[in-house]
Amino acid sequence: MSIHVQKKLWAVILSNTLSSESEWLEQRSQSTVMELMTGFVAAPRFLRKTIIQTKKNESAEEFPSPEEISVTDWSLVRLCRVWLLLKLEELDPKHFKQNIETLFDTAEINELVALYSALPVLSSPEQWLFRATDAVRSNMGLVFDAIALRNPYPSKYFSDQAWNQLVLKTIFNDKPIHLIMGLDRRKNEALAHILSDFAHERWAAGRVVAPEVWRLTGPYMNEKLLQDMKALFASSSADNHRAAALACGESTFPPALALLEEHPELAIQIKTGTLNWSDIEFKELNTYVPQP
Amino acid sequence: MCLNPNESTPNPSHFEDSDQQIANPAHRELAWEDYRELIKDMKFFDPHIHMVSRTTDDYQAMRQSGIIALIEPAFWLGQPRTGLSSFKDYYSSLVGWERFRSSQFGIKHYCTMGLNSREANNEPLAEQVMEILPLYIYKEGVVGVGEIGFDDQTAAEEKYFRLQLELAKKAKLPVQIHTPHRDKKNGTERSMAIALEHGLDPSWVIVDHNNEETVKSVLDQGFYAAFTIYPFTKMGNERMVKVVEQYGPERIMVNSAADWGISDPLAIPKTAALMKMRGISAETIRMVTYQNAIDAFGKSGQIDVSDFGSDQSGEGIDKFHGNSILRGGQQLNPSKESLVIQ
Repeated sequence: MSIHVQKKLWAVILSNTLSSESEWLEQRSQSTVMELMTGFVAAPRFLRKTIIQTKKNESAEEFPSPEEISVTDWSLVRLCRVWLLLKLEELDPKHFKQNIETLFDTAEINELVALYSALPVLSSPEQWLFRATDAVRSNMGLVFDAIALRNPYPSKYFSDQAWNQLVLKTIFNDKPIHLIMGLDRRKNEALAHILSDFAHERWAAGRVVAPEVWRLTGPYMNEKLLQDMKALFASSSADNHRAAALACGESTFPPALALLEEHPELAIQIKTGTLNWSDIEFKELNTYVPQP
Repeated sequence: MCLNPNESTPNPSHFEDSDQQIANPAHRELAWEDYRELIKDMKFFDPHIHMVSRTTDDYQAMRQSGIIALIEPAFWLGQPRTGLSSFKDYYSSLVGWERFRSSQFGIKHYCTMGLNSREANNEPLAEQVMEILPLYIYKEGVVGVGEIGFDDQTAAEEKYFRLQLELAKKAKLPVQIHTPHRDKKNGTERSMAIALEHGLDPSWVIVDHNNEETVKSVLDQGFYAAFTIYPFTKMGNERMVKVVEQYGPERIMVNSAADWGISDPLAIPKTAALMKMRGISAETIRMVTYQNAIDAFGKSGQIDVSDFGSDQSGEGIDKFHGNSILRGGQQLNPSKESLVIQ
């Protein structure tokens, strides 16, 4: 556990709580393990249901960096629960693993969200690898989101196989992959090729694929993916054209580069930096809705 | 579980011992489709329904009929449980998977936690359940201890009923009391007497599954009286209308207790339509199908009506919980009439 992160989280908490709330947290964190764990569970009974603000004023203490833990748009309860988990470790390091397992085994949805959010800042984070992959298996949307989106844990600790499952399930669930941390760094050839198969299944079903997913393919371009790029350019969607152009532009496969040159306007936009992946990052996907 | 050696029905549900026949339902002339217009602007709260045994079709139909929030009491399994893990997984599902399933349809899901009276009869297991129950009752969205009370009215049932009343008091939670199917009147009186003996405020106690014979005493003693509209059995909704006409709306609430038996998740909207037809005021209907349940279980501090799905049409449900949680653009209300499945 990082004392450092714990202090930064406390700074965020102080800038978002009433004194009665921070006092309750301090009191719970300094009592017994059982009180603290019950506090983790009962937090919504003592804290307001509100979304935290992470804009700092100048005098504010240092807040955690997104690479440590990303608290953007969290509820106050989620934030405080993560902090309580760090205090739980401090209070009884010897039984910490067992206590966390108990909390996992009996957790409701929002508790699971807090537990998975805390994984990157617990000590020996790799010991929670199985739990983390279990969250990817979860069909509870909020639980899946807690591990998959804006969480630095998977990119740091997942195997390629587990990572690819996470990315594919995010795509399958119609969620925006650009919210996955480390997406670019963990690109790999296997994922690019599975993605091509996935797109073919979707197209066969008369459904679409979110354009930004092709950002995973550029460096692995081959004859098969090239055909996909052609299909994208041939589609009626301007965003698909942009996706294909960007993917080809990131490739070293000569036929892909040649294909890009057939679309000079897009090629220029890429060269001048006026087109990049962030232009086709959408949050509302709805790729399952039949297209006209 | 049922340890009554004389119990012959393998899977008795809420009202297993009806002596009425399932065939020949009355009033076929009143078709639900013809009367649902009457309630099109109403919203409903079902304070007792076992969604783990219901399908997504039910969820859709409920939402389309105006049910925007519900309470799922902890129930029994329908067959004996073989260990503590079965309870843990069930309790977790009430605050996990089922809560999520419900949210997909824009219905806010609450629950009550408890050891069911039938299952209290397996004492070695009941003992272990009591140890883990405190882990669950403080959870967000747990609005009471329930459904607890008597089934066979055994000594074991009484023991765990009393222990759970104490737990509710400690946790400052309302209590949802299941009253027995057999020897109902005595069982109901006994449940209330024990609750009072433990010092519970009757306005924190919801006595469930009432009928014409039990309601007066329940109301007179200051308890909430819940009525379960369950087809072919104890309480039909026409009789419910008469009860409301006689006693008024105060501290009365209607529920479906729909479960894995033949039951109706639309019992509340149907009863509301019937009340409307029979000239009961909109305000009274609102009290017994919505507000009273919120007032009673809201004492837990866990009900916030701003969390309820507010959009009657069921549109925009994917934004429920402030998050897009449906799998993709899954259509919310695929037409049941269409031959084509997309």
